[in-house]
Amino acid sequence: MTRAAVNGGPSDVRRRGAGRGNALLGLAGLCGFLALIEALPRLGFVSPDHLPPTSSIAAALAEETSDAAFWTALGDTLTGWALGLLIATAAGITAGMVISIVPYLREATASTVEFLRPIPSVALIPLAVLLFGTDLRSTLLLVVYAAFWQVLVQVLYGVQDTDPVAEETARSYGLGTWARIRHVLWPTALPYVMTGVRLAAAVSLVLAITAELVIGAPGLGARIAVAQTSHAVPDMYALVAVTGLIGVLINAGARAVERRSLAWHQSVRGEVSP
Amino acid sequence: MRRLPAGLAAVALLAVTATACGSSSSDDSGSSSDGVTTVKVGVIPIVDVAPVYLGVKQGFYKKRGLDLTLETSQGGAAIVPGVVSGQFEFGFSNTTSLMVARSRNVPVKAVANGVASTGKAGADFGGVVVKGDSPVKSPKDLAGKKVAVNTLKNIGDTSVRESVRKAGGDPKSVQFVELAFDQMPAALAAGQVDAAWVVEPSLSVAEEQGARVVASNFVDVSPDLTIALYFTSDKLAQQDPELVKKFAEATRESLAYAGSHPDEVREILATYTKIPEKTLQALTLPRWPEEPDRASLERLGELGRQDGLFDEAPDLDTLLP
Repeated sequence: MTRAAVNGGPSDVRRRGAGRGNALLGLAGLCGFLALIEALPRLGFVSPDHLPPTSSIAAALAEETSDAAFWTALGDTLTGWALGLLIATAAGITAGMVISIVPYLREATASTVEFLRPIPSVALIPLAVLLFGTDLRSTLLLVVYAAFWQVLVQVLYGVQDTDPVAEETARSYGLGTWARIRHVLWPTALPYVMTGVRLAAAVSLVLAITAELVIGAPGLGARIAVAQTSHAVPDMYALVAVTGLIGVLINAGARAVERRSLAWHQSVRGEVSP
Repeated sequence: MRRLPAGLAAVALLAVTATACGSSSSDDSGSSSDGVTTVKVGVIPIVDVAPVYLGVKQGFYKKRGLDLTLETSQGGAAIVPGVVSGQFEFGFSNTTSLMVARSRNVPVKAVANGVASTGKAGADFGGVVVKGDSPVKSPKDLAGKKVAVNTLKNIGDTSVRESVRKAGGDPKSVQFVELAFDQMPAALAAGQVDAAWVVEPSLSVAEEQGARVVASNFVDVSPDLTIALYFTSDKLAQQDPELVKKFAEATRESLAYAGSHPDEVREILATYTKIPEKTLQALTLPRWPEEPDRASLERLGELGRQDGLFDEAPDLDTLLP
């Protein structure tokens, strides 16, 4: 028998029912939004030259999806996003742990981190072009730079949140550095890390598209830029809609990963023990 | 032809430093054993560069042993540093941008002609448009008005000022604002600007939406105005004159071919842009002479100096092939 069944079906059913209700509400909101976009140009509030109705955007989208170049561009964008996120996450976690563990390093790096963090990735575009031209590596530079800080800062906060009693207990039981990371620091930091990764996933997508849009690195962003300069307005909105859709999927995926890896944590279990 | 932000100076400095430090990435052009050289060209996906796309399709580069990859970027901001640092062997840029770069000692050198004005007032591929019901009837009336250009302190404002000057208006009183070409028709329709300097395909789109051409600013500078050029870095020009020569020859052949095959130009445009069919048929194509027009460039340099883009007009001998 599964735990859910033992734990009392009703609350579970209620929760699942609420989930379905939320999904329905979300869908209704989306339909309303699409209807609004359809209505605005048709009622003459904006010129269809500048904001085409939903139906013509949908037609342009259908045409896009039948073009092989569109799928290549989508693949390029997702590659840039995934690679960038992976590098940023690995680097962020490693750097965060090292900074937290090595004595005084945190204090020594704090001002540098706060100095570098707010620098917008986009400001690095000339540097990216100079180093890597207009290929994937330029996109990666921007994506990694933006996503890295999201992860790093969360790791720093997460480790700082460690219960000093747990930490001291681990020490007095003679746990080594590695064991303390593994059994004390990491579990404490994990919820923070997951938040950082989820934020980084969204930021990575924004930066991947931006890099393509501004630099012209291959991908959906470059396609949007071409549609824009060509005055293919419905096409441009269709591609923008695709990036929005990817965003929704990425967020849903990141939340699923977060729930799964934190299944043991009370924030996800939703039951306070005492 | 498009945006080259004011950050050029900073970028140029970086570029020079990078090359001076012996940037490791400047030997991208690889000669394979069968004598085919891979060459990257930084272009902007606009009407102006159609000849190169056609030249690749027609095999003008291949038959000279060049395997061309066209790297599209969104403007000179990415192309100039890309070429100087050796990411691209060649690039496409408007003439004023190259003059500004040259005057700041950015090591760029033109290798082939890019694109030229049609020379016909009222029927050029770029011009200043106003709303259909605008009180502006001649370039003279632009004095004191707000005019959109794609990049400030570049070929747009310099040439529009010349139009106003020639018509007897006060060029200094024109207010320029920076806006992307594709946003200009909307900004004009909404009244955010009084006039806009646009090039194709935005020009045709603006006209479709009821705008009226009041000045052909390129023609006012010179009927044969050379608007853009293909260029390379000084370094490559010295290191591999053979490669530069082959590229220049193939480009010359492509320019001539594009000039005599306008239908194929419109066809190739449909492959690398998304210009809607209706606009594609309506737009005015530029001219693609095989050689840059030196007299027009001298004039453009002089206007740039007058407008303070550089302290003295650049030496065309160092810039031109």
